[in-house]
Amino acid sequence: MGSEDYYLELCERPVQFEKANPVNCVFFDEANKQVFAVRSGGATGVVVKGPDDRNPISFRMDDRGEVKCIKFSLENKILAVQRTSKAVDFCNFIPDNSQLEYTQECKTKNANILGFCWTSSTEIVFITDQGIEFYQVLPEKRSLKLLKSHNINVNWHMYCPESSVILLSTTVLENVLQPFYFKAGTMSKLPKFEIELPAAPKSTKLSLSERDIAMATIYGQLYVLFLRHHSRTSNSTGAEVVLYHLPREGACKKMHILKLNRTGKFALNVVDNLVVVHHQDTETSVIFDIRLRGEFDGTVTFHHPVLPARSIQPYQIPLAGPAAVTNQSPVPCKLYSSSWIVFQPDIIISASQGYLWNLQVKLQPIVNLLPDKGRLMDFLLQRKECKAVVLSVCSQMLSESDRATLPVIATVFDKLNHEYKKYLDAEQSYTMAVEAGQSRSNPPLKRPVRTQAVVDQSDVYTHVLSPFVENKETPPKFVIAVLMEYIRSLNQFQIPVQHYLHELVIKTLVQHNLFYMLHQFLQYHVLSDSKPLACLLLSLESFYPPAHQLSLDMLKRLSTANDEIVEVLLSKHQVLAALRFIRGIGGHDNISARKFLDAAKQTDDVMLFYTIFRFFEQRNQRLRGNPNFTPGEHCEEHVAFFKQAFGEQALMRPTTF
Amino acid sequence: MAADMPRKRSGECPEGTLAPSTGQSVERAESPTPGLTQGMEPGAGQEGAMFVHTRSYEDLTELEDREASGDSPKEYVGSPPPLPTDIRQISQDFSELSTQLTGVARDLQEEMLPGSSEDWLEPQGAAGRPATEPSQESSTEGEEEDATEAWRLHQKHVFVLSEAGKPVYSRYGSEEALSSTMGVMVALVSFLEADKNAIRSIHADGYKVVFVRRSPLVLVAVARTRQSAQELAQELLYIYYQILSLLTGAQLSHIFQQKQNYDLRRLLSGSERITDNLLQLMARDPSFLMGAARCLPLAAAVRDTVSASLQQARVRSLVFSILLARNQLVALVRRKDQFLHPIDLHLLFNLISSSSSFREGEAWTPVCLPKFNAAGFFHAHISYLEPDTDLCLLLVSTDREDFFAVSDCRRRFLERIRKRGAHLALREALRTPYYSVAQVGIPDLRHFLYKSKSSGLFTSPEIEAPYTSEEEQERLLGLYQYLHSRAHNASRPLKTIYYTGPNENLLAWVTGAFELYLCYSPLGTKASAVSAIHKLMRWIRKEEDRLFILTPLTY
Amino acid sequence: MAAAAAGTGTWAAQEKQFPPALLSFFIYNPRFGPREGEEENKILFYHPNEVEKNEKIRNVGLCEAIVQFTRTFSPSKPAKSLHTQKNRQFFNEPEENFWMVMVVRNPIIEKQSKDGKAVVEYQEEELLDKVYSSVLQQCYSMYKLFNGTFLKAMEDGGVKLLKERLEKFFHRYLQTLHLQSCDLLDIFGGISFFPLDKMTYLKIQSFINRMEESLSVVKYTAFLYNDQLIWSGLEQDDMRILYKYLTTSLFPRHIEPELAGRDSPVRAEMPGNLQHYGRFLTGPLNLNDPEAKCRFPKIFVNTDDTYEELHLIEQAGRMVLSAVSLTPAASTQLTLDFCRRLDSIVGPQLTVLASDICEQFNINKRISGSEKEPQFKFIYFNHMNLAEKSTIHMRKTPSVSLTSVHPDLMKILGDINSDFTRADEDEEIIVKAMSDYWVVGKKSDQRELYVILNQKNANLIEVNGEETLRHAVQQHLLLGLTLTAHNTSLKTSANLCLPLQLTGHDSDWVSDTRKAIPALRNRFLLGLMIPRGF
Repeated sequence: MGSEDYYLELCERPVQFEKANPVNCVFFDEANKQVFAVRSGGATGVVVKGPDDRNPISFRMDDRGEVKCIKFSLENKILAVQRTSKAVDFCNFIPDNSQLEYTQECKTKNANILGFCWTSSTEIVFITDQGIEFYQVLPEKRSLKLLKSHNINVNWHMYCPESSVILLSTTVLENVLQPFYFKAGTMSKLPKFEIELPAAPKSTKLSLSERDIAMATIYGQLYVLFLRHHSRTSNSTGAEVVLYHLPREGACKKMHILKLNRTGKFALNVVDNLVVVHHQDTETSVIFDIRLRGEFDGTVTFHHPVLPARSIQPYQIPLAGPAAVTNQSPVPCKLYSSSWIVFQPDIIISASQGYLWNLQVKLQPIVNLLPDKGRLMDFLLQRKECKAVVLSVCSQMLSESDRATLPVIATVFDKLNHEYKKYLDAEQSYTMAVEAGQSRSNPPLKRPVRTQAVVDQSDVYTHVLSPFVENKETPPKFVIAVLMEYIRSLNQFQIPVQHYLHELVIKTLVQHNLFYMLHQFLQYHVLSDSKPLACLLLSLESFYPPAHQLSLDMLKRLSTANDEIVEVLLSKHQVLAALRFIRGIGGHDNISARKFLDAAKQTDDVMLFYTIFRFFEQRNQRLRGNPNFTPGEHCEEHVAFFKQAFGEQALMRPTTF
Repeated sequence: MAADMPRKRSGECPEGTLAPSTGQSVERAESPTPGLTQGMEPGAGQEGAMFVHTRSYEDLTELEDREASGDSPKEYVGSPPPLPTDIRQISQDFSELSTQLTGVARDLQEEMLPGSSEDWLEPQGAAGRPATEPSQESSTEGEEEDATEAWRLHQKHVFVLSEAGKPVYSRYGSEEALSSTMGVMVALVSFLEADKNAIRSIHADGYKVVFVRRSPLVLVAVARTRQSAQELAQELLYIYYQILSLLTGAQLSHIFQQKQNYDLRRLLSGSERITDNLLQLMARDPSFLMGAARCLPLAAAVRDTVSASLQQARVRSLVFSILLARNQLVALVRRKDQFLHPIDLHLLFNLISSSSSFREGEAWTPVCLPKFNAAGFFHAHISYLEPDTDLCLLLVSTDREDFFAVSDCRRRFLERIRKRGAHLALREALRTPYYSVAQVGIPDLRHFLYKSKSSGLFTSPEIEAPYTSEEEQERLLGLYQYLHSRAHNASRPLKTIYYTGPNENLLAWVTGAFELYLCYSPLGTKASAVSAIHKLMRWIRKEEDRLFILTPLTY
Repeated sequence: MAAAAAGTGTWAAQEKQFPPALLSFFIYNPRFGPREGEEENKILFYHPNEVEKNEKIRNVGLCEAIVQFTRTFSPSKPAKSLHTQKNRQFFNEPEENFWMVMVVRNPIIEKQSKDGKAVVEYQEEELLDKVYSSVLQQCYSMYKLFNGTFLKAMEDGGVKLLKERLEKFFHRYLQTLHLQSCDLLDIFGGISFFPLDKMTYLKIQSFINRMEESLSVVKYTAFLYNDQLIWSGLEQDDMRILYKYLTTSLFPRHIEPELAGRDSPVRAEMPGNLQHYGRFLTGPLNLNDPEAKCRFPKIFVNTDDTYEELHLIEQAGRMVLSAVSLTPAASTQLTLDFCRRLDSIVGPQLTVLASDICEQFNINKRISGSEKEPQFKFIYFNHMNLAEKSTIHMRKTPSVSLTSVHPDLMKILGDINSDFTRADEDEEIIVKAMSDYWVVGKKSDQRELYVILNQKNANLIEVNGEETLRHAVQQHLLLGLTLTAHNTSLKTSANLCLPLQLTGHDSDWVSDTRKAIPALRNRFLLGLMIPRGF
């Protein structure tokens, strides 16, 4: 299948490390996303590589037995190494702090340390088979201080760094999970909950294995993902992923079930809020989006894969070092190999090959894999990098080749504008709040982030509509229909329509001489008033005389365009109308006599000229008690013209009444 | 003849004998309201009217109808008598007429050319008149076209023809050139009369054709003016009366009884000038529209002296003594029981203004005053007081032999006003025969017409800027005509009209007692118009004894 | 005679009045019988047909004569009408050498003269030329809508066919002319638009677009509510006449019952459409009856000079919401199946939209408070978009358009209108009739507004007048008119004075009307709905 078909891929620049082998043990720290390569217990060196820091940290440490677990605290301040099941060794990496190691044993008698995890740069949690111990590390003192501890039988544990929650598996069936939440020196115990195990014959005791549990934040919420190999509802075979929502407060609740419809070995990732389920047997993966609508049975929502199962896009191992020089074709990488280890949220590690990848979702291919445009939009608009794709989808659905029907187009526009409107509202309430001075109040409100899902009018105009309108092949009827749909949609969400959209409509209508339609649209104020629009209409007068009336009406309704109105009227030699208008709005005492007299003179209508001239004579009389024009008004030529046309005696005489 | 006059008149116009006495008793309101009864509006004569009272044209036309139908025995309701021509003949020919007509337009061009016209003897006098006769030298195709085109474009054509279709008068183009067109006109008239129907007018884009039938004549106007058919018909009536004033109705009908297709131009030759002048006058002088006479602005004292002098200078045969200047009335003295009809006065004015010959000396000419009595002639003594002034004395006598007696009246009159120094005052007044609207002191006001119904007099200022050009002046009168026609619409009369146009605002206000027409700046507001009315009415009231004849005298 | 016709027209008991009536109506072509004795061939249609042959020939002859005669004075602009004592004749040459003539008898008053015998009096000034000339032109447009041009008939089947078509069409059509109730609106031939908020309008837009997309044969669509237009894909002039047909002929026939609130009998016959109220006004009644004929009226519209023949398909929903679809007749015969599809698409949608629009309708109604008698009435017309609005006319019934004012006032409106047409410039005319009503006419930039103030009504000032107006104003706003609050004040007070001062009598008015100023300001908002107002 063409590369267009793969919607999952491994990042091009993986973290590369020395392959795991008898002398070289490899560790991965989920908190810092670091890979530790510990050669011969560290004696011959430890190399630490993170996804972002390209220059690895490397150091030596004495080989004091096989390393069970090794992790840096946040910001790589302190290194913790577990070699025995009783104690953890520490070593400061803080400049001018003693490099000497120091050790901490677990408090609880004859408990075994199952593991530990850093919750901050100086706070660490020991998980023992009998409970957990929460310490603060005091590097300068080279000692630890127990902050809190809790006794509980632990089968295994799991840590989610993003939400700094530790999950402990208790009870024989291991299916009762006890979450703890850590924050700034405090440890809080969250209500525990039980994972329903699939119904199974009494004989075989099956318990909840760590492998089947994952923790990830999806759409900002923490979920516990349980990979259930056999549906409890016997009718439907095939495995499923059960999502338990784990809120900060309140009990954990089963929310979603992702139907996999197959069995075998699975691995989970969470990428861009999508749950990715890899299936080793078929070497394919499927993705789920819990925001897309599924079947809700009253308690949980059932989801099916958004798209047909597809393999991750084949990956070529980049050749490093001298090999690169010899132009031998790069080695294709074995995908879904048993040597893969998957970490949350999006990490895939091949210890055998010494690679760490981030899993990524490719949106473009999805466009063709998801025929239902509405669903496609819902899906895309939730993705981080969606804008380009969204716009391309819009253009595509208008394109000659695969044109969508109007109802579809309508829904797509509606979905766009829904997001758009949400953002606008947030923006508005933010600014209002700021004006109201609540900005100081805590929590200080954040300016709403504009995600790529916000596709505004200018985006649609520049990337979708104008190119679409340019295309001469498309039948005008369709063009208009589409434009009207978009405007309709905007209106439906009470989004004020920008004038350039209206201009687009008008230009199209004019192009095809659909003036009568244009007139009706303006009649019903579908094209709302604006100065630019009015001007555009004016410019159309030569093709369509009524445009003049329409534009004047518009200016008049705007009521902020009085000057324009006067100019328009004068330009049409409608001096009387202009003067009456000005007088109507009470501006006639401070207009330039010359301007109007000029206009009147241009009409070659002496009667008109007389009228205008008289008007200003009377204005002079009223304002200055004398009908004559002042030199400042520069009307000498007009006075002369008046005399010549009507004679000296026609000039108004100063009167007193 | 004098004996039967009173009866006839009372039949004609009931308001004619409006009780004058009521005039003095009631005190005269400062500012007018429609409540004003006749005789109390500004300009109302205190001695009562000197004219047959007339609201406007329509009562004339009305009574003309009655005359046409009722009085003359040979006509009956609705339509005049079927013409002696054989009706069946007409209707048969009619379907073919159109075919024949298609030619007319073309024939016209040819006929407009000299020589092609039938060899009727060109009536003398008709030669000199200012009509657009085609040029005498043979013209080329193009020129013919132009000639025809120019002919078509005239604002108002007027045709008079006999019921037999014989041309009597055509304002533009020689009658015989248009004989075939006139033939069609009479054919149309008679065709409809054959159906006991009557043709009134034809309407097309930009022009109207109006027919008036006054047996034995048919009058037709083709006008591109804004006038209503009604008004055009009234102008045609004026033309009809003009002809009567030369022939008397009696003579006219007698002639055609004698000879069906008599060529009336033989009798009227030379009079075309008068008719032309009448048409021009009607297009410029509001007197005709207002159906009233305008007075020369004159100090009351002077006017009284003049009237008194006229009153004293009389002989038995005198019916009216009229002093006028430039179609404005200076003084009028009448026999106690005789009233002059405005139409008759206008005809007299027209007669005088249409010929300079009267300046030569004393003229003694027979004249029929059709509204007064269409049956007989009066004898008018016409003379200018001094050759260099416009003061013209008109003495109307019933006795054709009385020239010298009447002439002597003139002498006595002159003596008196000289003795009393009135003639100097007159000369003075003549230097400013018109007043300026500025005197009223309303800045937006451009012009107005005010008519006192009871006195049959009206006043209006000189037409000044911006109505300086002739076209503009005619346009203004056209607007007044328009308002007038709406206000006096036969079936839907109006009390008030306010009109805002591109060049001016107009306001018409018609009450039982007076009519007022204002013209003011298009930038004037209604409010200003309203206040203008009051200011103006007060002004007129103030000036009335100068602008009107408040105390007309009788012998 | 003149005096008799004047005034408010209240007649003494012994007088009988007869309204204007159609005397005759004929169509001829002078080229068809140029030679003598062949005149009869000129006549293509003559009503009443009973008239004796020579009579016909004579009347046609007269018209030819009049036309030719006037060519003498203006070769390009021959006579439009002939006024005679008894009647008026109107001439129209819609296609070269094809003349249509309509002869209307003047209204008659029959009086008893003193000696007791009846005297008939023709009222010569009652008929308005423009009105009846427009009616005559409408006759042609209506013929053309359903038959195409005269020339087309000639091409299709020569004079014979043309005569048949004329006979077939006008025989019925002439009976639908109601000459006594013709007025200004016939001159305008405007379209009344339904005021609608933007959103609902857009919904309708997208409904129509979708319908036309899914039924490619549908070429144009018009959308109406009751007898008011909401959308038309047709060009103005075509819509104008089609609208006339729909509102005065088609709807009244089918929809009266629905408006009356009764269930349409037709619907009962259609078990097929229980799920929605949509039904065909033209075309098959019962979609389930396989025998049902889908014959739709054919009409001709003129899109860029090429005539296309279209089927007129009419779908009405509840509250008489109706979509008129036009499909090229050239395309294959419309099948019953097509009807079903159309029905299934349009029907439900109409029902939905109907409720939306219904809301609007009630809103408008509420604002208008239409029950109360408003203090003024108006007619508005915009030549640019043919938008027409009248508060003077009741809803057009199939028979007559009822006006709520005295005929004389309507005629005054007509007079003012004809005064306006003499010049292009903007004009305003305010007159006071003998009946003391004030009539305002205003023409500005292709718009005409006529207002009749019921100035006699003592409580002119009542607020409801204001409300009515606001309603009117709103509607106009929706019709894209401009209302300008400013530059009214001056005028209004002036408008106020004008009636007052001039009709000086009963002074108590003065005080009252001072109070009236706010009310009147609004009223004259109307007067200034036009941008180039005062």
